[in-house]
Amino acid sequence: MIQIALQKNLIAANGDMLLDIDIKIKEGEFVTLYGDSGAGKTSILKMIAGLMPADNGLIKVRDKIWLDTKNNICLKTQQRRIGYVFQEYALFPNMTVKENLLFALEKGQDKQIITELIELIELGELKDRKPEMLSGGQKQRVALARALVRKPEILMLDEPLSALDHAMRSKLQDYILKVHKQLNLTTLLISHEMGEVLKMCDKVLVIEKGRITRYGNPIDVFTSKQVSGKFQFLGEIVEIEKEDIIYIVTVLIGANFVKIVADTSDIKTMKVGDKIVVASKAFNPLLQKIN
Amino acid sequence: MNTLEGEIKSIHTNGSLSLIKIKVKELLFSALVVETPDTASYLKKGNSIKIIFKETEVIIGKGKEHPLSIPNKIVGHISMIEKGEILSKIIVNTLVGELIAIITSEVMNEMVLEVNEEVTIMIKTSEIMLSK
Amino acid sequence: MDWQPLLLTFKLALVTTLLLLIIAIPLAYWLAYTKSRFKPILETLVSMPLVLPPTVLGFYLLVTFSPSSVLGGWLNNYFGIQFIFSFHGLVLASIIYSLPFMVHPIQAGFANINTTMIEASYVLGKSKITTLFKILIPNIKPSLLTGVVLAFAHTIGEFGVVLMIGGNIPGKTKVASIAIYDEVEALNYDTANSYSLILFAITFSILLVVYIVNGGYLKRFWK
Repeated sequence: MIQIALQKNLIAANGDMLLDIDIKIKEGEFVTLYGDSGAGKTSILKMIAGLMPADNGLIKVRDKIWLDTKNNICLKTQQRRIGYVFQEYALFPNMTVKENLLFALEKGQDKQIITELIELIELGELKDRKPEMLSGGQKQRVALARALVRKPEILMLDEPLSALDHAMRSKLQDYILKVHKQLNLTTLLISHEMGEVLKMCDKVLVIEKGRITRYGNPIDVFTSKQVSGKFQFLGEIVEIEKEDIIYIVTVLIGANFVKIVADTSDIKTMKVGDKIVVASKAFNPLLQKIN
Repeated sequence: MNTLEGEIKSIHTNGSLSLIKIKVKELLFSALVVETPDTASYLKKGNSIKIIFKETEVIIGKGKEHPLSIPNKIVGHISMIEKGEILSKIIVNTLVGELIAIITSEVMNEMVLEVNEEVTIMIKTSEIMLSK
Repeated sequence: MDWQPLLLTFKLALVTTLLLLIIAIPLAYWLAYTKSRFKPILETLVSMPLVLPPTVLGFYLLVTFSPSSVLGGWLNNYFGIQFIFSFHGLVLASIIYSLPFMVHPIQAGFANINTTMIEASYVLGKSKITTLFKILIPNIKPSLLTGVVLAFAHTIGEFGVVLMIGGNIPGKTKVASIAIYDEVEALNYDTANSYSLILFAITFSILLVVYIVNGGYLKRFWK
């Protein structure tokens, strides 16, 4: 069990904001911090990593205390066993892919893990290249592998995929899920993309203005009301077109577009860009085997 | 989307399927869902609930008597017709409020439906969704 | 022509530059990352030699280290070190005089490094020292080169400070810039010209190398 309680007065562009959270995370869980930019998500990760001091707080990982401001305990970043993947990769430009990973080794640690990680995220052919010779997706794979060398107790990913295009993003998500499961990690991901949250994580924390407003499994959190449609997806409206007396709404669900018929009364409250639930009864969809 | 509010009168569960009877004003609707009171907390006798069904799933019949295998039948009067090229929209004033049906213009012309005419609206149990 | 002043000049520049490098890296690191209130004061002190007339600097060094002063006397009595009219004195004066030329580029180099790279190193469990040597220094090589060359070239060109604290002792403190002055005074324009030309050529070559290396020209043409 990982317990994280943090308080900090953040000075933001639009005035001060009190960040105040108290969460418990089970080991092995994949948790997303979801929210608008400026809500305090990155600050939370940085405080967990010890890169930013908290005004008040308690961080307990298993039975080890990382931070306890009441008793003046604050482990240095170096003493906290974490993996951190930054949005802008933060690879060391003076080292090759392999050297970046080797740098992360602890004294006396078996080098075998480097070979394993390079294999796991399929970087074999690139291992002697310098970061400047890699694409964004490749860089982020290296950063992910590097974060795993120390066998972190918490893996933290700060919007790791936001600089990547759609196809690359989907592939990287698969890599992240793969390492999360194979290495039995406890993972914290910052994301503001609903599709990503739904695909990746077990739990989502919705953070608004420094506070957790909703917590739970993504589908429950994102669908404010429960509907008995078993065939249910979250999507984003891409286009609304009037055809005859009805409307055809194009919705992006994951990487797929679907078209849904709607009536004027439905459209009244909707516009392009809105996040919506697409629901149908379990009775309607047809199944067909593909060869 | 047609939405009505009612109260759950009975729940008949078998395996993961449940047949729910919902009372809306004096009318009783039945809805078939792949949920049970165990999987969906809102399935509880006496709970108020919304029933939702799509306009395109609505069947319209002339007059009152229609011996069909559809349990959900509501009698009402057409209050408005909006004709389109392929599809037409019919708004029906019923006991439970205005309901919308979207049917093909072809069939509407064949049936010669007119404003103020008495019609029966029918929805299959499997087309009704429930929502809190 | 006497080669000794030239050799002395390069010996002085070399020693000064090496010592400066050792002093400037921690100093620049501190200046680049500190949030201390004293930072502006230290920054000002480091930059003073840029604007202060060299003779002022030389004068105060002379006063401070003269055997009749407290510090100068103490150093002389206990360590036998004399900074006045000696090579040690020249080195000390040159270090102070060229300090900003070494510190500023390195400080700018540190400041330009993306902080997430430093954080990434800490998160990987690496200490500040390891991060400095393995991550920061290798990634500010152009700044280091600029600092080294500017300090070296600037030391070659100094005159006022050297004259004040070192005097004009052949083989000991008589560097090229002073030799040129001497020769002109003695109306030996040819010798003065030789010294000048050599200094001109050398400083030109050094600076040219820096611009070629840091401008990435080598990479572009040697592929």
